[in-house]
Amino acid sequence: MNEPIDGLMVLLVLLNLWLLASSRLIACTRIVAAEGIALGLLPLLLSWDQGISGRLWFIAAASVIIRGVIFPQLLLKALRQANVQREVEPFVGYSLSIVIGVLTLAISFWLISRLPLPETPHLALLLPVALSTILIGLFVIISRKIAINQVLGYLVMENGIYVLGLALVKEIPALVELGVLLDAFVGVFVMTIATYHISREFEHLDADQLDSLKG
Amino acid sequence: MTMNSTTILNLALSVVLAPLLPGVINRTKAFFAGRKGPPLLQLYYDLWKLLHKGAVYSRTTSWVFRLGPALGLAAVLTALLIVPTGGGSSLLGFDGDLILLAGLFGLMRFITVLAALDTGSAFEGMGASREVTFSALAEPAFLLGLAALAKLTGSLSLTGIFGGLTVESWWSAAPELALVAAAMFLVFLVENARIPVDDPNTHLELTMIHEVMVLDHGGPDFAFILYGAALKMWVMGMILVQIVLPAHSGTWLVDLAVLLAGLLSLGVAVGTVESTMARLRMVRVPQLLVTAGALSVVALVLVLRRPV
Amino acid sequence: MLMEMSWLLWPLLIVPALGALVCLLLRSPKTVLAGVCAVVAAEAVATGAAVWAVFAHGPVEACAGWFYLDALSAYHLAILLAVFGLSSVYAWFYFGHEERAGHFSLRTARRFGALWLGSLGAMALVLISNNLGVVWVGVEATTLLTAFLICLHRSPGSLEAMWKYLIVCSVGVAFAFIGTLLIGAAAGQAHLPAGDALLWTRLRDVAPDLNPALLKMAFIFMLVGYGTKAGLAPMHNWLPDAHSQAPAPVSAVFSGFLLNSALYCILRCLPLVEAATGNIGWATGLLTLVGLVSIVVAAAFILFQRDAKRLLAYSSVEHMGIIALGVGLGGVGVFAAMFHVLNHSLCKPLAFFSAGRLGQRFGTHDLGVLAGAARSAPLWGGGLFVSLLALIGVAPFAIFMSEFLILKAAVDKGDFLVMAIFLAGLSIVFVAALRYAIAAAWGKSSEQPAPAQPLPIEKSTLIEKALVWAPLGLLLAVGLWMPDFLRETLTQASGIITGGP
Repeated sequence: MNEPIDGLMVLLVLLNLWLLASSRLIACTRIVAAEGIALGLLPLLLSWDQGISGRLWFIAAASVIIRGVIFPQLLLKALRQANVQREVEPFVGYSLSIVIGVLTLAISFWLISRLPLPETPHLALLLPVALSTILIGLFVIISRKIAINQVLGYLVMENGIYVLGLALVKEIPALVELGVLLDAFVGVFVMTIATYHISREFEHLDADQLDSLKG
Repeated sequence: MTMNSTTILNLALSVVLAPLLPGVINRTKAFFAGRKGPPLLQLYYDLWKLLHKGAVYSRTTSWVFRLGPALGLAAVLTALLIVPTGGGSSLLGFDGDLILLAGLFGLMRFITVLAALDTGSAFEGMGASREVTFSALAEPAFLLGLAALAKLTGSLSLTGIFGGLTVESWWSAAPELALVAAAMFLVFLVENARIPVDDPNTHLELTMIHEVMVLDHGGPDFAFILYGAALKMWVMGMILVQIVLPAHSGTWLVDLAVLLAGLLSLGVAVGTVESTMARLRMVRVPQLLVTAGALSVVALVLVLRRPV
Repeated sequence: MLMEMSWLLWPLLIVPALGALVCLLLRSPKTVLAGVCAVVAAEAVATGAAVWAVFAHGPVEACAGWFYLDALSAYHLAILLAVFGLSSVYAWFYFGHEERAGHFSLRTARRFGALWLGSLGAMALVLISNNLGVVWVGVEATTLLTAFLICLHRSPGSLEAMWKYLIVCSVGVAFAFIGTLLIGAAAGQAHLPAGDALLWTRLRDVAPDLNPALLKMAFIFMLVGYGTKAGLAPMHNWLPDAHSQAPAPVSAVFSGFLLNSALYCILRCLPLVEAATGNIGWATGLLTLVGLVSIVVAAAFILFQRDAKRLLAYSSVEHMGIIALGVGLGGVGVFAAMFHVLNHSLCKPLAFFSAGRLGQRFGTHDLGVLAGAARSAPLWGGGLFVSLLALIGVAPFAIFMSEFLILKAAVDKGDFLVMAIFLAGLSIVFVAALRYAIAAAWGKSSEQPAPAQPLPIEKSTLIEKALVWAPLGLLLAVGLWMPDFLRETLTQASGIITGGP
């Protein structure tokens, strides 16, 4: 069951790059949702050979529903309510963003090959792709102006960490995994409410202009 | 038949059939638009007509202007000699010929640009500038994609690469091959001045890229340019088809049929893209090309980390 | 000796959770504030029982090893309840005034009550969890629950501070999760069963066998991640904004314990990393460095600060740095750092209490306007004056003692460069803050107080007086004479950090 996993990882990379190239917030939200759904399938593929327990089905289903359906719905709702900007408004241009995205991938491959990580030859793609996803998420957070975009970046980062966890730790206790998922859920929930209040108070969602507190 | 004679036969077929590809694209577009469209053989008629005309040269042009079309056609014909034409062998393949391939396309572009600049027309200069900008971005994507294939097959010649690609390669390295194929398709669209980068049917010089450079050519010169463009599309199409459909049955006729079927579907695909997409704004084109480059790099990175 | 006493630890989570729900149903702001005090009191009783059990009988384990309470966490738990207890009582007065002025609606009150108790529960979860994954969940939960406490009163400034806090801390804490995963990977390599991979007690037992390189990476991620939440420089950017914009009781809890709960997570991992890397002082060295940077950065910002609450916020950065430095230096420094946790957590809420009430009185936190506050508002002006003195380490107060002990640790270790930087940072803060403290007591208001809506000041009640003078008295007493049980507690807690039995 290696090829589907590799394929999924490549899909994740492509979605990340697409996110960097997209100029529409709605499109970005959909891309992140697609990532969430793809990642929900990952644990199923990873333990296909050993057989899939009910616990795994449950976590995969919860992950797909929360990351793939609820998050994007929340964000799209926030976008509708904010009703101001629909463009991403990057500090860093789209082309340069893509180049940086590809660079993070190359750096991740290089870094992972250097680090003394546990040997998982059949999962060779998992770690570097996870790392590059985390880096791209960070990059989205710092390079985009709109507050919703920062939430998206945070989600991408979470996705990367999720893959990292699957690659590094054989079996995270279900309780911890659900706790993490719950935190991500509440996090996005809180952040969308925050964007709503920001858009009401400032009549924009431009996190760049939140700069009155200094010193 | 010996290997060489099939290759020569394939070459001859390429030279003859190349103008058919634009015909297929145009028919597809006509189908989408609900028109009857020009006949499949329209380009043959055009070439025939042009070859029987005389050429008019502006007094401001020099010999560079006259050299352009001929040299361009010569370059693309040479390229045809090193690209395997179905069944996986070429006439003049050698190690490192993939660089020569890129170089030949570069030469063709270079001489076209020079000829355009030689006219001194502002429009042609503008087109030349755009052509050079975009090809500078397309070339890395093309070469990096080929590099990924070279590493994958462990060969530095086009013959070796496309001989090494098999259906089994798609089983073991599907993501990499798909990425390269996608990148090559984008490069194909750019290099052949198709939508979403350039619109071959546009009538406004301001929005043209490739077409505007050849406005001043006429008669046999223009025929050379049209034929050279068709041949270039054929050559790049063959590369793309041999990545996507790496058939090596050993039987000449089967391989040829696969190649021709692939090229036919490519023509339909391009026609479909042109019918369903609008041309990108000029400022967004580099982004598309960077994307193509990114796909190639991702493929290359994936290939590089692969245990040998 | 371990005891299986689930019933002792469960109430610590259940009481605040139920209390938070009940707060949503209460029908007036006053009852919400009273309810909060009652729930915190109940939680304090439960905590008292648990802490007593730990110090009387040794570490408590519960729920098949998911919960674990030893001297270190019990000590922090006691401080948590002290901070929350003081702040809840203070909130009664602080929001009581606002309510009379019509600024504290029922909706706001319910939100405050639920989030306040919820974050109390989350911090308790951080302290009593044995599983590093659950610890992380708890820390992230505190971020999310406290975010809306910052903008309890919605204004552009508070929203901006809340957004920064939310994004910076969420991202930071996500790094800590990477660190947690790396520890899990190391545990997997050491053939710990999957279910035990993140349990601190199991990890401690096998710590010397863990892959040192993995643990080093994990510690760096943890230090950056939890360090962000703990306000260690240079990851402290969110802190002054959040502290200055939040209502005073919330600032008090932020400074008094939220930072400590994140620092606690780093301290938990320290013995694991040290044991895995062969006790060469790699991790403690890193902690020393971060501590020093925090002290210096905070000192630089305090020098130019005019806003009372921002000044106190930077002072928190400084004190977190001092704690990290003490732990990093090792030896008596760890003991001193633990002592410092108590001192800072007692003193800083008090300073925020005073600044908050003065802010209500004068309508601003500008230190220029607050000059001479001790005359017009003797209780809170005096409180600000004395607590500032205590914070900068004036002699008989306990903070002086703990800082002195940390200096001693540096001297013991022969690390004179560290000592010099530490001293320089302390003196800058001393001079800069003393300026304002003296001004607050005897100065003349530079500007005419022009409050937007000054709240009518009322006569201070006995409880308010106790709120100010009891912690100060305690600090003074502990500074002069340390009781045996405290010494024993501190020794046990620091023993856990240094990897002792």
